[in-house]
Amino acid sequence: MTGWIAAFFDSPDAMIMLTGALVGIAASLLGTFLVLRGASMLSDAISHSIVFGIVVVWMLTGQASGPVQLIGAALTGLLTVALTEAIAATQRVKADAAIGLVFPALFSIGVLLINLFARDVHIDEHTVLLGEIGFVWLDTYTIAGYLVPQAVIWMGAMAVLNLAFVTLLFKELKLATFDAALASALGFVPAVLSYALLALLSGTAVAAFDAVGAILFIAFVIVPPSAAYLLTDRLSLMLVLGAAIATLSAVCGYWIAVWLNVSISGMMAVMTGVCFVVALACGPRYGLFAQALRRRARHSDNAARTLTVHLFNHEGTDSAREENVATALRDHLHWSEAKAQRVLARSLADGLVTRSGEALLLTPKGRTAAREVLEPWARPERAVGHSNG
Amino acid sequence: MVPQLENGLHEPGLAVHVEDLTVAYHSKPVLWDIDFDIPPGVMAAIVGPNGAGKSTLIKSILNLVKPTAGHVTIYGRPYKRQRRKVGYVPQRSSVDWDFPTTALDVVTMGLYGQLGWLRRPGAAERARAMAALERVGMEAFADRQISQLSGGQQQRVFIARALVQDADVYFLDEPMAGVDATTERAIVKILHALRDAGKTVIVVHHDLQTVRNYFDWMVILNVRVIAQGPVSEVYTTDNLRRAYGGQIALIDADATLEGAD
Amino acid sequence: MLALLLDYTIQNVMIGAALLGIVSGVLGSFAVLRRQSLLGDTLSHAALPGICIGFLVAGTRSLPAILIGALATGALAALVVLALTRMTRLKTDASLGIALSTFFALGVVLLTHIQNQGSAAQGGLESFLFGQAAAILRSDIYIMGGIAFAALLLVTLVWKEFKLVTFDAAFARTLGLPVLALETLLTTMIALAVVVGLQMVGVVLMAAMIIAPAVAARQWTDRLGTMVCLSAIFGMVSGVTGALLSATARGLATGPLIVLAVSVIVIVSLLFAPGRGLVFAAFRDAENRRRLHGHRVLAALYRLAAEHNDPAYRTEQKMLDAYFGTGTSGVLKRLQTLGLVTSTSHHPEPTPHWALTAQGIAQAQTDLMIGDTNR
Repeated sequence: MTGWIAAFFDSPDAMIMLTGALVGIAASLLGTFLVLRGASMLSDAISHSIVFGIVVVWMLTGQASGPVQLIGAALTGLLTVALTEAIAATQRVKADAAIGLVFPALFSIGVLLINLFARDVHIDEHTVLLGEIGFVWLDTYTIAGYLVPQAVIWMGAMAVLNLAFVTLLFKELKLATFDAALASALGFVPAVLSYALLALLSGTAVAAFDAVGAILFIAFVIVPPSAAYLLTDRLSLMLVLGAAIATLSAVCGYWIAVWLNVSISGMMAVMTGVCFVVALACGPRYGLFAQALRRRARHSDNAARTLTVHLFNHEGTDSAREENVATALRDHLHWSEAKAQRVLARSLADGLVTRSGEALLLTPKGRTAAREVLEPWARPERAVGHSNG
Repeated sequence: MVPQLENGLHEPGLAVHVEDLTVAYHSKPVLWDIDFDIPPGVMAAIVGPNGAGKSTLIKSILNLVKPTAGHVTIYGRPYKRQRRKVGYVPQRSSVDWDFPTTALDVVTMGLYGQLGWLRRPGAAERARAMAALERVGMEAFADRQISQLSGGQQQRVFIARALVQDADVYFLDEPMAGVDATTERAIVKILHALRDAGKTVIVVHHDLQTVRNYFDWMVILNVRVIAQGPVSEVYTTDNLRRAYGGQIALIDADATLEGAD
Repeated sequence: MLALLLDYTIQNVMIGAALLGIVSGVLGSFAVLRRQSLLGDTLSHAALPGICIGFLVAGTRSLPAILIGALATGALAALVVLALTRMTRLKTDASLGIALSTFFALGVVLLTHIQNQGSAAQGGLESFLFGQAAAILRSDIYIMGGIAFAALLLVTLVWKEFKLVTFDAAFARTLGLPVLALETLLTTMIALAVVVGLQMVGVVLMAAMIIAPAVAARQWTDRLGTMVCLSAIFGMVSGVTGALLSATARGLATGPLIVLAVSVIVIVSLLFAPGRGLVFAAFRDAENRRRLHGHRVLAALYRLAAEHNDPAYRTEQKMLDAYFGTGTSGVLKRLQTLGLVTSTSHHPEPTPHWALTAQGIAQAQTDLMIGDTNR
């Protein structure tokens, strides 16, 4: 058993995949709420401006990772959001433009500080953007006799913290996400929750930073929850699916990257995109394929109902002889010949309509269908006369 | 039989002729088999409860929403061939009022269609726009940035933009929503002047109380056409009750009107 | 300094930076007004895989191939964003984030693939991340200039149509304008601006060059034409400033310097632009509050006088203080200098009292009447 564990921690493969999976899980748990709230691009802003925080903390304390960095990051993240909100609050700038003003400025300062003061340290522009997950197993702590990569420790800690946050505050977060007004009426202070969420996101970004870099982190925050959102309507399931997709992407991404000899973290992020495409195509309810099927069914359904309503409206009026005939589908409803025939065939088959010579007549079933459309508020037994002008 | 539309005129005597129109939003129909006609030279209200499809109706007449069945003609021809005859006033909330432009500039936009590609609006266009602003009493605000106007003033600028189009049929989407009583009277006066000049004015209207004072023609809508015709004939408790169905608050409004009769 | 300006490289850098600033300033104005600010961010990140593909196809660091690649993947990303927003239940922000991060990730993968091929010519691809002004050649300038000229010509020719579509697309459609085509064109032009800025600013920070000059320019004017011109000038100034600093101070990345320069312009504009600037607005608000307070005090005096049926009614200052919940002596003194109120005493009380003058009564009456009609 111990040998097995030691082998696990000794294996660079396993450690890299584990780190990637932990980044994915920690990021997607929080990302779920950002995606639902329509604030995904805040992760873009935070993960860029975090660079500023990292450099400043490094210059002040000389530490490039660890708890000080996590706290510094949380503060930088909150600074970014606060600045964005302050600029938007002046009403001189739209909210989306405000995001796009703040993070490039902070990011630029961060990069310039690196250029000026930190050129020889391992934080360089390249790492900042792309990360170096391939080397995570080099820096280790010794825990219970095992050499555990630092990145695994920190990412594991963030993942546990985030998991605790979303499980313990599950119903508060749910309410604050879907109905902030009600949440504050019930005394849940959605603003505080929101800031806590963003602070955790910033901390996660810093912990993930060495491994995947600033921009690829965004993929883990946004893409797996978005894919999960296309697969389920339940928040709890969305969290689980998001984490699962992130893990799957990390594992597959690793092996493909090794096979093709390309950036591991880049490939992991690409795999989140691949998972998203699969969910997009095959989601049981919101997938494109399912949607297309449903839309076709609904179109055909609507066309049949349009016909019954048309017949119903002209039933018993002087114009019935002109309107309630098969050719009227073309001349009055402006349908193509093919569509007219398709709809008529279906309506006849469904027993909504019968033919009597040229004339089309509604069956009682067809009349009920028309009435359901036109008088959704009416009880079936309440017979309402209809006039048309 | 209906004559082929592409070749000839279909119901040329009617300002607007809507036939068997079904319109869907996100493949869910909101208007079912709408038939109605509006003769030239009337001021017509389109009324109905919230969600009855009033705005959608105007948008589908103007080809902004594609109908799934049926067709529309303006003075006998499809809208695409009658653009010059139609003026449109969208809902005020549909644009960004912080846009860097002035009242006069917005009104000039009404002439962009007639100007055609590559031509810039010149002194003649600005003069016409200014005249339109004068007609709505907004000439003093010509150079104001549009967010610095009150809601009613913004509405009047929008109406001036339609006036400058010099159309025969005007469609207005809730022009009286969120404006004060003075502006409402001013708008109605402008619209009456248009009607008296022989134009057709079609207004999506939300206030049943004022229908009889302002309009001479009405179409009552709720998913389908409940009733249409001269206000004096169509404005009946029975019709309104059928349109507003179970919406109790509006039935109450109707009852007070009945009491006033 | 003169020697510096005559330097061949520096000339290139300055011309390139100026071109970048003008194009992104002009095209960015439309992006910001159409609330597509962050689309610029997505498009610029999405240019990275295009750069790599252009390189792979051409087999060398050929600028035309790289720019065409960048334009293609940028436009594709815009299409993906549009499709995801239209066809799924995801909101715009998620669609933007998905396109941004996955395209960029693909770019990173391709970048490492190119590096691992060990091709000698691969050097310099990474300069597209943050921009490297010094690497710009005269031939690059011609290409950038060509794109810039084409984009500006288009904006000039289709000016009024672009303006109307940006302001009120539905109305534009009723006039018969091809709105979809115009909107596609405007979005594609954001990708063009990105392409022009790649060498200067790099993909990561290009978003700022699209957004910031336009936001700054909007503060100074209420006319679209002026805004677009100003935006071009701001873009140009910050571009040249940043590029010059970067070319002279070795080791400082060009993109961040340009972005800092433009950020300074934004801050100054937000604070000090006449009219919209926050400092001006604060002064105006304070002035309004003072005037409003004066009006209210005058109105209170008027109502008290009316209630007592005595135009010369003397009101105790303490009562006014209590009524308004704040000291009123300053306001009263100001009203006194305006000749609207007069200080009196009311025997045997020793405390200060105030009464309206005839002028004050007239003023209060007009104020109250205007207030009524406004309601």
